[in-house]
Amino acid sequence: MSRWEALHDLMSNWSAAAGMAIIAAILVVALAGPLLTPHDPLMPAPLQRLQGPSSAHPFGTDSLGRDILSRVIGGARISILIGVISVTISLLPGTLLGLLAGYFGRWIDSLIMRCMDMLLAFPAILLAIFITAVLEPNLTNTMIAVGIVYIPHYARIVRASVLSLKQQLFVQAVGHLGGGHVRILLRHVLPNCIPPIIVYATLGMGTAVLQAAALGFLGLGAQPPSPEWGAMLSEGRQYIQIAPHVAAFPGAAILLLVLGFNLFGDGLRDVLDPSLRSQ
Amino acid sequence: MRKFLIFLAVTVCLAPLSALAAGPTQGGTLIWGRGGDSVNLDLAQATDGESIKAGVQMLENLVIFEKDSMNVVPQLAESWTVSDDGLTWTFKLRKGVKFHDGEPFNAQAVYDSFARVIDPNHPFHQYGKWVYLSLSLGPVKEIKIVDDYTVALVTEKPYAPLLNNLALWLCPILSPRAMAEYKDQIGQHPVGTGPFKFSKWVKDDQIIMERNPDYWGDKAKVDQIILKSIPESSSRLMALQSGAVDIADDLDPDSIRLVEANDQLAVIKRPSVNVGYLAINTEKPWLKDARVRRAIAHAIDKETLIASIFQGLAVPAKNPFPPSIWSYNDAIQPYAYDPAKAKKLLEEAGFDFSRELELWAMPVSRAYMPEPVKTAELIQAYLAAAGVKSKIVRMDWGTYLKKTSNGEHDLCMLGWLGGNADPDNFLYGLLSADTAKTPGAANVALWKNAEFTKLCLQAQRTFDKAERTELYLKAQEIFHQEQPWVPLAHSTIVRCYNKRLHDVPLRPNGLNSFQMVWKDK
Repeated sequence: MSRWEALHDLMSNWSAAAGMAIIAAILVVALAGPLLTPHDPLMPAPLQRLQGPSSAHPFGTDSLGRDILSRVIGGARISILIGVISVTISLLPGTLLGLLAGYFGRWIDSLIMRCMDMLLAFPAILLAIFITAVLEPNLTNTMIAVGIVYIPHYARIVRASVLSLKQQLFVQAVGHLGGGHVRILLRHVLPNCIPPIIVYATLGMGTAVLQAAALGFLGLGAQPPSPEWGAMLSEGRQYIQIAPHVAAFPGAAILLLVLGFNLFGDGLRDVLDPSLRSQ
Repeated sequence: MRKFLIFLAVTVCLAPLSALAAGPTQGGTLIWGRGGDSVNLDLAQATDGESIKAGVQMLENLVIFEKDSMNVVPQLAESWTVSDDGLTWTFKLRKGVKFHDGEPFNAQAVYDSFARVIDPNHPFHQYGKWVYLSLSLGPVKEIKIVDDYTVALVTEKPYAPLLNNLALWLCPILSPRAMAEYKDQIGQHPVGTGPFKFSKWVKDDQIIMERNPDYWGDKAKVDQIILKSIPESSSRLMALQSGAVDIADDLDPDSIRLVEANDQLAVIKRPSVNVGYLAINTEKPWLKDARVRRAIAHAIDKETLIASIFQGLAVPAKNPFPPSIWSYNDAIQPYAYDPAKAKKLLEEAGFDFSRELELWAMPVSRAYMPEPVKTAELIQAYLAAAGVKSKIVRMDWGTYLKKTSNGEHDLCMLGWLGGNADPDNFLYGLLSADTAKTPGAANVALWKNAEFTKLCLQAQRTFDKAERTELYLKAQEIFHQEQPWVPLAHSTIVRCYNKRLHDVPLRPNGLNSFQMVWKDK
């Protein structure tokens, strides 16, 4: 399958195209952020607090009179950043550990995978809460926490791929021809593990955004006055009876971004997974 | 809107009339929703509001503040006298009073309840931590049993605030038998003489109290009080709206507006004896200069803070204690909101504008600080307008109290409910050099001003109210000049309840016995 073909397949897949469009739109908003925000997202105007949507404030104002539209736009950058960085934090060590465990097997495999099982034994959110609480609650540590929590997932996926790849003729052949371990791993095994990793990483971005929002909601993520969506949602909950818009807009933003990543990830899987393609 | 207000006014005025028509009835269960669980119901050891408001239903003192005011009136003591030298306070005790466990109330019970706090050799001393000793019985050196129903307290120096201290929740009389039986667990099973007796405690869920049928005074109207812990303000509001609770404490100001608009519910408001403040750590080299601290005061717009976050349920503060307490210095001119002036003062003082100050925000809301994190965000923006960078720091409440009392902060938000309505409680307790010793400083500004402390100590030894007033007026001037805190607000305390309750009281310190409250059948 040529690259062109793959892209064509991707674009003709309804779910992937929709997901890509949503992500692209949010990405543009995040990058252009400061140019788009009508007001300073951090500037309080306490006497204009909890105003409903109007032409001056299309999404209304929050409990300190800050413009919610500006804050949602400011939060887009934070959320995208959280998605990318925490997935990178889980992806790199996860892939490396999975490669080593799958390829070398025996005690290395047992050691690595039992450690991964230990991490997996904790519910993801509990482990993330534990890590942020130990480190000190802030945005950087949220990304680290969410990143660490998902390392075992990548390790398992990569290990599974490696286990089947290493039995394949072309890998065995390189070994018999005198190719070193490093060469085999990086040139022959790793490239063939990439499709499932890409799919999982895309879905993982959505999960990471959601986890970070959950931490923010619990007060363990981004600290005030940062316009992180989870923290904004948490603040809005208090005014749900008198000013529902305070919670509604950041909630909708989280929904949209997570939906985008999930649609795109699903589409990507359909396109990349040959067993699903043949159906 | 106007019509609505008139309607509201009429309903509020008529509500007591309809109550009058029906007349008090006996029975029923009062369900009281609040933000958190109690910690220790032995009030001599209690340090948090949730313990105190539950404990005062069950335990009683020698004297007490009058309902709805801060005048001291008899409770378990029938009368008292002070000797001419001001050192000996003699109390005549009420006869025929019994503790909840059937033990008689007498001079021995008063002795045991007080001596355990001040005397390290008393057998019950080891069973507790007497954190607020200096605010309660600290100045008492000796407790004498004159006869079965007469007790004398002897102080080392004349100490004028003693009577008010005894009226505080901090000096309860407990059953000696129960104290001996429960040892350090007495706070989990309080046994006093009050109109309600302890029944059951499910941690973090509820505390149940039963009516005391053998109470010496007017017996309670309701059969039972259930205190329920509902941490979320919005959930407490919903519980009140749905009728699941009869009283909801500590609602945020926005929720109170919804309660006011609901004709099934009632709201009482009263100016409180509290203060919410921003303490400035005077030990930090960059905050040592009083000009820097005055600049911070100029940078903060208290009026807007109160109009927005407090929803008008407060008055701006300029002194450490509220205007309702005697000797309030009203001649003091508050620092006007003026960011430009603040900046100029900082420049004069050579303040390093590249330094990021740590602004510590309380993790819990209190009547004096209903929205601590939002208040911190607003203060952060005000400081930024004067060129001062700051970072909001948050941590759990226990750690917060510990670290602020060690002076680890630059700026921290705190507050105080002056239970005994005496200026001493605020000035000496929170601002003197004696209470600025780390660790465990109550004076979290760590402000050590010799002249201020001298005035406070002199006032403690003075019985003449006019003379004490003079001393306190002067102390407030020093406080104003030095500005170790920026006093922010004296909040209005509010009680929100369902109109099926009647005769709901509210003292300025927010602590009331609910013995006269009755509920519609």
